Amino acid sequence: MAGLMADQRPPDGIVLTEAQKKSQRQRSIAIALALGVLVVLFFAVTMVKGPAVLVRPM
Amino acid sequence: MTVVDHNAIELSPRISEAEVSDYLALLKPRVMSLVIFTALVGLAIAPGHFHPVLAFTSLLCIAVGAGASGALNMALESDIDALMSRTANRPIPRGRVTRQEALAFGLILSFFSVLTLGILVNWFAGALLAFTIFFYVVIYTMMLKRWTAQNIVIGGAAGALPPVVAWVAATGSIAVEPVLLFLVIFFWTPPHFWALALFRSDDYARAGVPMLPVVAGPDATRLQILLYTIVLVAVAVAPWPLGYFDAVYGIASLLLGAGMMVCAVDVYRRRERTESLRATRKMFGFSILYLFALFSTLLLEVVVRAVAPLVW
Repeated sequence: MAGLMADQRPPDGIVLTEAQKKSQRQRSIAIALALGVLVVLFFAVTMVKGPAVLVRPM
Repeated sequence: MTVVDHNAIELSPRISEAEVSDYLALLKPRVMSLVIFTALVGLAIAPGHFHPVLAFTSLLCIAVGAGASGALNMALESDIDALMSRTANRPIPRGRVTRQEALAFGLILSFFSVLTLGILVNWFAGALLAFTIFFYVVIYTMMLKRWTAQNIVIGGAAGALPPVVAWVAATGSIAVEPVLLFLVIFFWTPPHFWALALFRSDDYARAGVPMLPVVAGPDATRLQILLYTIVLVAVAVAPWPLGYFDAVYGIASLLLGAGMMVCAVDVYRRRERTESLRATRKMFGFSILYLFALFSTLLLEVVVRAVAPLVW
């Protein structure tokens, strides 16, 4: 009985609406893509420059 | 004595519903496209071989830096954006993104664009990109824009720097050619924006922005447009007789310059409301075409020079 009562309680904290969940998911994907591009970019430039990647001209 | 029941205070933090498109709008995509194009020309005319991956990296960093400037500009100008019909639909006035979110977004993008350009390409280009962002955000947006009618004259330097950043990224040094490109965009900016300000002067007056038509009136602005256009045409043609750019560019700059002069004289002569409006809109539209076509000529010359030996 006590368990049933606990199940019927609204969840604690902030409950996101569907629109908020959707936009949050979209933003998270965009951030992940941006980070992915950054990783690929650093990898590609390292491949192009080879050991010279450590030489950073002013 | 008042007893406050802290448990009774309902804290309802704002949960953002901003979509990716709202953040993309903060980057001012149309301005960004012009920045990418002028930077591409700066890269293309730079001497020597520049690896395509590094060229792409440079363009991406310059584009993101320009977008970051746009986001910071929108964060700092949201109060006046809300008052002007041209800008009232931007993400902050519409309530899609808060000023703090735009500020954080702009700062993060500025940091990463400068850092990436510095680490992957060269630090001279990175520093110049940082200076461009600083000039646009601090000198133009925070100081000049609300203070002087010369705001876009001096502030135009920020918009003129991308081809210089691109050249520096490709060569690691500065030369006359990117400075010439800088001067063309620098002298192109006032007639372009004053044409816009002439047909949007009510907007700027409502927002309290001291654009030239608001402060000095439309007639003084028309004269300034004409004078700056004369200087622009002279500056744009000069690289040809000076031997920096070829005859194709020279002829294109003369023809396009003639078009700009016709538009500027039209703006100067036509004072009647409807005709004046038509002339300023034409000037605004043609000025975009002018810059695009002039820089396209340089790009075309590079492409033709690269392809010609393969064909013949």
